[in-house]
Amino acid sequence: MAKLGRNAWYDLTRATNWTPKYVSEDELFPEEMSGARGIPAATWETYDEPYKTSYPEYVEIQREKDAGTYSIKAALERSAFVDKADPGWVSTMQAHYGAIPLGEYLASIGEARMARFSKAPGNRNMATFGMMDENRHAQLQLFFPHANIQRSVKWDWAHKGLRTNEWAAVAARSLFDDIVTSRDAISTAIMLTFAFETGFTNMQFLGLAADAAETGDHTFASLISSIQTDESRHSQQGGPALEILIANGKKAEAQQLIDVAIWRSWKLFAVLTGPLMDYYTPVEARKLSFKEFMQEWIVAQFERQLLDMGLAKPWYWDILMRDLEITHHGMQMGIWYWRPTVWWNPAAGVTPDERDWLEEKYPGWNKRWGRVWDVITDNLLNDREALTLPETLPTICNMCNLPITHIPGDDWDIKDWQYEYEGRLYHFGSEPDLWCFKIDPERYKGHLSIVDRFIGGLIQPATLEGALQYMGLGPEEMGRDAHLYAWVEKFRRAKAAAA
Amino acid sequence: MAAFPIHSNFQGDFVPQLVEVDTEDSMDAVAEKCAYHSVGRRVAPQPDKVMRVRNHESKEVYPREMKVCDANWRLTETIDVIFADE
Repeated sequence: MAKLGRNAWYDLTRATNWTPKYVSEDELFPEEMSGARGIPAATWETYDEPYKTSYPEYVEIQREKDAGTYSIKAALERSAFVDKADPGWVSTMQAHYGAIPLGEYLASIGEARMARFSKAPGNRNMATFGMMDENRHAQLQLFFPHANIQRSVKWDWAHKGLRTNEWAAVAARSLFDDIVTSRDAISTAIMLTFAFETGFTNMQFLGLAADAAETGDHTFASLISSIQTDESRHSQQGGPALEILIANGKKAEAQQLIDVAIWRSWKLFAVLTGPLMDYYTPVEARKLSFKEFMQEWIVAQFERQLLDMGLAKPWYWDILMRDLEITHHGMQMGIWYWRPTVWWNPAAGVTPDERDWLEEKYPGWNKRWGRVWDVITDNLLNDREALTLPETLPTICNMCNLPITHIPGDDWDIKDWQYEYEGRLYHFGSEPDLWCFKIDPERYKGHLSIVDRFIGGLIQPATLEGALQYMGLGPEEMGRDAHLYAWVEKFRRAKAAAA
Repeated sequence: MAAFPIHSNFQGDFVPQLVEVDTEDSMDAVAEKCAYHSVGRRVAPQPDKVMRVRNHESKEVYPREMKVCDANWRLTETIDVIFADE
C-alpha cells in the first residue's frame, strides 16, 4: 500500500485533539500547567508552527547529525587537540561544558511541560521533538568532555557543575528554574523558546562555533553547530503561541514574559559568553567581539522579530544597549579575581595587544577596566600574588545571582539597587533586575544568594575556605590563572625595553 | 560591640564587597576595613587623600568619628567609600 505524502496528512494529525470523557478539560489541562489563560481549546488548535516535521523524518535527520558529529570526534581524537590548544581555549570548553549539559536536561523538562500540557496540539507535537532534542544535547555534551577526564578533573564538571552550590551554578539554576522548569506550558514556549533560545543560544552556539573553527577545534565546532540546528527548529514554538496570545487580548502579559526572560537570559550570557569571546579566545581567532555578536543577533534580528509581531522592545532596551559595552567586562574581572571559586582556569586576556583590541572594540576600556587591571598587573610584576586573590565575597544580585558590577576606574558608577521587602534588604545589579523582583516578589523573595547563605550561617566555617568547600571545589578543581601569569611577562619585557 | 555585615562600594573598584564591621567602629575604621579589600588590590592608593564613608549614592559624607551604631544602617546596607581632600 502506497504511503501518503507528509503534506496529505500532517495538518489533520497535528490538529487532532482529545475530547475528554472521564475527566473535565480543566482536569486534563490544569491552568497552572497549561497556561491557556481562558483562551478556548478551539483557538489553541489554530496554533501553526512554522517548521513542520514528522517522526520518521526527525529520526532520520537526527541520526545523520549524530553520526556526523561522533565521526568527527572519533577522527580527531588521535590528534589530541586539547593538549596543543591555547589554555584560554581549554578554559572556554571547560566553562561551557560545566555550565551547559545539565541545563539541557532542564530544557527537556520545559519541553515535556509543553508536550503534555499545552492546549495547542501543534505545540505538543513540536515539543515532543524538542524534548528529544534537549536529551540529545545533554548526552552529547556529557559524552564529549568525558574523553578528557584523564587530563583534568575539571572536565568532570560537565556532570558535576549544575548539581553543586558553586556560584555560577546557583545563578544558572536560578534562571533555568524561573524560565524553563517552573512555568506553565505557554509561558515556557515564550520564555524558553522565543526569548532564551531565539535570542541567546545563538550567541553561545553560533558565536562560539565560529571561534572554535578559527581556533582549530573542529570537534567542538561540529558539536555545537549540530546542536544549533535543533535549536533553530524548536525555538520556533514560541512565535505561534505569542500570536494567539496577542490576538486574544493577552499582549501585555506576553510582553512581560518576554521582558523578564530576555533580561535574565542576558545577564547569564554576559557572564558566560562575554568573557569567553572577548578574553579567553585567542585574539587572532576572534571573529567578532561579544558586543558585535549581540548587536547582530539581538539588536538586528530579535528586535525585528518583536516588532514584526506587534510587540514592543522591552522597556529597558536602552539600558541593555548601553550595558552591551559594560557588563561582561566586570563579570570577567570578577571571575578572574575570584578564580578559586570557578571550576575552570580563567584567562586574564589583558596582554598589551589584547588591551589594544579591547580599547578598539570598547573605546574607553583602558580608563575604566584598564585602571583595575593596572593595579593587578603591578602586583603580579612585584610578586604580590596574594593581593590578586580574594579574602571576602563580592556583593551578589538577588535576581541574577551574579556580582553587582558596572563601570570602575575613572568613570566609576557602580550602583546597588537596594530594596527592602518584608523586612529583608535585597540587592540588585540593575533597574531591570529589581523590576523582575517587584512584579512578582512572592516568586523570588525566598531565594538566598551565596552571600545571604554566608551571612545566614549556612556556609560553615564562615570563611572563604568554607565557601569554597560549600561550592564543591577541591584543590584540583579551583581555578587558577589559565596561562600561569605568562601574560605578565609581556609587561615586564615592555617595561625593561622602555627603561 | 557586635559584628555588623555591610557591603562596601569603594570608589574606582568594579564590584561592591561584603565587609564585616563592628557596631562600635568609627567611620574611619569602617573605611580602613573596606579599603583592605580594594586598595592596593584593584584600586590604586591615593596617599594624599583621606577615605570618607557616605550612604550609597549620597552627596554627604558621615563625620569621621561617628560610630556605626549611630548611622541607622540596615543589615547588609551598601555604603560608599570615597577619596576626599579632608
